[in-house]
Amino acid sequence: MKVVGALIKRNVKCYFKDKAMFITSLITPIILLTLYAVFLYDVYKDSFTMSIPQDLVYDEKLLDGLVGGLLLSSLLAVSTITVSFCANLYMVQDKATKARNDFVIAPVKPYKLAFGYFLATALNGLIISLVATVLGCAYLSFKGWYLSVADVALLLLDVLLLVLLGTSLSSLICYPLTTQGQLSAVGTVISAGYGFICGAYMPLSQYGTGLRNVLTCLPGTYGTSLLRNHALQGVLEEMSAQNFPAEAIEAMKATADCSLEFFGHNVEIWQMYLVLVGAILLFTGLYVLLNYLDAKRLTKAKKVK
Amino acid sequence: MEKIIQISHLSKSFGEVKAVQDLSFCVKKGELFAFLGLNGAGKSTTISIMCGQLQKDGGRVEINGKNIDENALEIKRELGVVFQNSVMDKALSVYDNLKTRAALYNLTGKAFEERLQTLAELFDLKEILKRPLGKLSGGQCRRVDVVRALLHKPSILILDEPTTGLDPQTRKTVWGIIDNLRKEENLTVFLTTHYMEEAADADYVIILDSGKIAAQGTPLELKNEYSGDFITLYNIAEEKVQALQKSYEKIKDGYRIAVANTAEATALVVQNPDLFTDYEITKGKMDDVFLAATGKKLTGGEV
Repeated sequence: MKVVGALIKRNVKCYFKDKAMFITSLITPIILLTLYAVFLYDVYKDSFTMSIPQDLVYDEKLLDGLVGGLLLSSLLAVSTITVSFCANLYMVQDKATKARNDFVIAPVKPYKLAFGYFLATALNGLIISLVATVLGCAYLSFKGWYLSVADVALLLLDVLLLVLLGTSLSSLICYPLTTQGQLSAVGTVISAGYGFICGAYMPLSQYGTGLRNVLTCLPGTYGTSLLRNHALQGVLEEMSAQNFPAEAIEAMKATADCSLEFFGHNVEIWQMYLVLVGAILLFTGLYVLLNYLDAKRLTKAKKVK
Repeated sequence: MEKIIQISHLSKSFGEVKAVQDLSFCVKKGELFAFLGLNGAGKSTTISIMCGQLQKDGGRVEINGKNIDENALEIKRELGVVFQNSVMDKALSVYDNLKTRAALYNLTGKAFEERLQTLAELFDLKEILKRPLGKLSGGQCRRVDVVRALLHKPSILILDEPTTGLDPQTRKTVWGIIDNLRKEENLTVFLTTHYMEEAADADYVIILDSGKIAAQGTPLELKNEYSGDFITLYNIAEEKVQALQKSYEKIKDGYRIAVANTAEATALVVQNPDLFTDYEITKGKMDDVFLAATGKKLTGGEV
């Protein structure tokens, strides 16, 4: 345990002290915040306003709370995954710079090294995502706070699950990578592309049916939808209490991807959790299997000789 | 003397390239053992196999009586390794780097602090412990590498071209400390190098060429076998040297005559006492041994 603890501490410190890696991992959240600051905030607000009957009198804070919740959920949807991915790139960097050799010559079993990277990645992802959650909530309290304690608790659960999804998926993808070129390529693709495919930059409801169907095959999509549900639930309930028409609320929920369809079938919240947990278990299992097979291959090679 | 490393019929290929071919040798406890060879001779491959970084294709590696195929983790505890280039984390402080590495050997808490204190004093690291590794000079970095290798008190210190790129003063300092450790802790040092003067100070030398042993022995044995003696004559006219009818080369302030051995040198001096008024007889250098054994110069390329 001491060995794994030391490796986790080292990996976390390296991530936070490596400014290039740290900033790369925050590119997607920064792009998202910029998009909202420049035009997305107004676009969504106008879009939601159009779905509300003109004669309805309501507090402007409700719409600000709704768009603020959208921003918070989008921010968490991307930061949980991209930060985990970039933090796990340290595993590849250690191979590329041969820093890993320093661990391989020590009497440390390979599974402890693998654990060290996995847990440090999860910890890095959680630290950044929790800071983002706190900042997002502070922003929301300024714009319009309608979240209950249960909503916040569920948001935190979603963050935890998404960080674990990012960690397990990145562990699997990064495992065979060995060079700086591969590391840069993966970092760039994830940073540039994930915001689009998870529906953070633009909700899936805005995409065509074909693309939407493809994206609903990805587990991260359900993570975004869970975050949307829990970030917007309070404000949507308040709208209902203030006599917003049910159709208008449903339209807003659909626009914000609170309800998702998988090839025409409506996906329930519990099913979204099931997909997320299943994906985490599957990716983690495959990562463990890869490590096990590698260790077995080495042992077998020794026995043959 | 007890054998601490025994390697028999070791082989390793990378595709078509045979990096190590049927290599057999042993290292005695407490000695300074040198692997001499050009880049690609198989020095680092052999070390990587000994450290468990690479899998061998065939052969047997025993360290302190333990077979590497069965006791890899135990063997790793016996070894301290200084790589060709520093592989520690440049963003972290010297202290953090060493603390992490020590924990890999279960050296933590007070035991780590005490060991660090001793080594920091020995290697003059106290002033730089809190500084990031990336901000250190090459010499300071190398000293940290050696301390990292010695943290867990290994019985064998493997130095893979440890002084490459270091200034002569730092090289001298590093070797001074390692020599002390050898004497005080009976440390076995396994060195790979392409510096002749480092190999000349070793107790036993193996010259590797294309993955095979080209020559081996103590520096004196190698010089006697692969290189004759040299008589250097000073303050003499070239015609007089030519009259000796021996091959010679002109050097600064004199001429260097190659002879088969010390007996021949002595005979030459006795037969020509008028010519030999200002002279010295020396053994061949390791450069000459390397050239004779491999047909290559250590600076690279074939002669």
